[in-house]
Amino acid sequence: MLNKFSKYIAIMTVLGLCGCAGTKESCDEISNETSGLESYNRAMFSFNNKVDKYVLRPAAKGYKAVTNEYVRQRVSNFFSNIDEPISAVNHLLQGEFANSGNNLGRFAVNTTLGVVGLFDVASSIGMEKNKTGFDETLATWCVPDGPYVVLPIMGPSTPRAATGFVVDGYSSPAYWMAQESGGEDAWLVYYSASGLKYLNLYAENMSMLESLEEGSVDYYEAVKSMYLQNRRKMKTCGIEVQETPDYDFDMGDMDDDY
Amino acid sequence: MKKILFWVLGIIGFAQVAYADINGAKATAMVENLTKEGIEKIINSTSSQEEKNKVFKQLFTENLDLDFIGKYVLGRYWRTATTQQRKEFIDLYKEFNVQTWSKRFDEFKGKKFVFNGTGSANNPNQIYVNTSVPVPDGQPIDVKWRVYEHNGKLKIIDIIIENVSLAQTARNEYTSYIAKSPKGVEGLLENLRSKIK
Repeated sequence: MLNKFSKYIAIMTVLGLCGCAGTKESCDEISNETSGLESYNRAMFSFNNKVDKYVLRPAAKGYKAVTNEYVRQRVSNFFSNIDEPISAVNHLLQGEFANSGNNLGRFAVNTTLGVVGLFDVASSIGMEKNKTGFDETLATWCVPDGPYVVLPIMGPSTPRAATGFVVDGYSSPAYWMAQESGGEDAWLVYYSASGLKYLNLYAENMSMLESLEEGSVDYYEAVKSMYLQNRRKMKTCGIEVQETPDYDFDMGDMDDDY
Repeated sequence: MKKILFWVLGIIGFAQVAYADINGAKATAMVENLTKEGIEKIINSTSSQEEKNKVFKQLFTENLDLDFIGKYVLGRYWRTATTQQRKEFIDLYKEFNVQTWSKRFDEFKGKKFVFNGTGSANNPNQIYVNTSVPVPDGQPIDVKWRVYEHNGKLKIIDIIIENVSLAQTARNEYTSYIAKSPKGVEGLLENLRSKIK
């Protein structure tokens, strides 16, 4: 009986008949990858891995060799501060006015006292970092996540995440500054800065990625699973996310979910 | 009426004995002790890598119920696996985990765990111990330890980092590998054997 019931639920969820609540994300996970999409994703994942190995990793190693932890932290703080207004706008769109105010306050404090954002002074005076973006705004507005897609270079994503990424990029103050001045040099600075931002991020996480790859039997599946689980943290339709899904070893054919 | 009340109270009382909730304070103390020992004896210790690996293996196997996790990780294939395959899988899974995690010690340098109470799980025998790890930039990393009581002993059955469950990730990965491997469970065992040095 229980089995029949769970099959019924599985069919219902695949058909997209589930509500927009805590269960929403599990709906996506069940239906998210058709076999055609999976073969594209796997091919793109393996291409990205080659780019990682032959381009990004050597570049990140070089970058690490000429910088120290202190410098990388300043770089990370600088870019984080530049993006603070994006969080402020998105918190506003999500109806989170206090958080939006906090983002603006942080931006003001860190840009001035924190020397153009190199130092996160705001955190030390109790204005905690709380970032958000357009992806999260869309989630708040009940826009479904869509299937898991591996993008060239960018890696794991979903249509909603990718939309969020593009919109955040266009709404970044750095982009507006380059747009405003309009000169070729301004764009050169903008693109170099964007490159540095991601190189810095990659360098900081490189060893973790390496050990993750070594510790898996199917690296693609491990990354996909982690990415999708982590996305479940996002508030959907304004509802706080449920705890990590509970599991019980005796709970029927739970692996039908994957 | 009194009789009914007596029976109702009796049943409630029995239910509470039968499903005695796991003790949050004890579970917290267990995780606290594990992280303390891990940081003292491995992360901040000056002993050799070999010695560190040994201590880690002992802490890891004593505090985690890898038999339970291993079963969960194999999912539906646990049922179709032979007794021999099950046993070998659990052994390989233990070894592989110890090997992988031993390489991640450096990532924990200078980190500490802040304990933020407990949360209930779907099973009265299980509990989440909530911790967070402050990092220099950004929000602290959220780490939850899922603890259960088995034969009077407390064991960890999952670690959830930023909503990513290690057991769940391994289950997705391993069941997908078996489904794609022409040799099924045997294929996975071969892969794990080749990875263990």
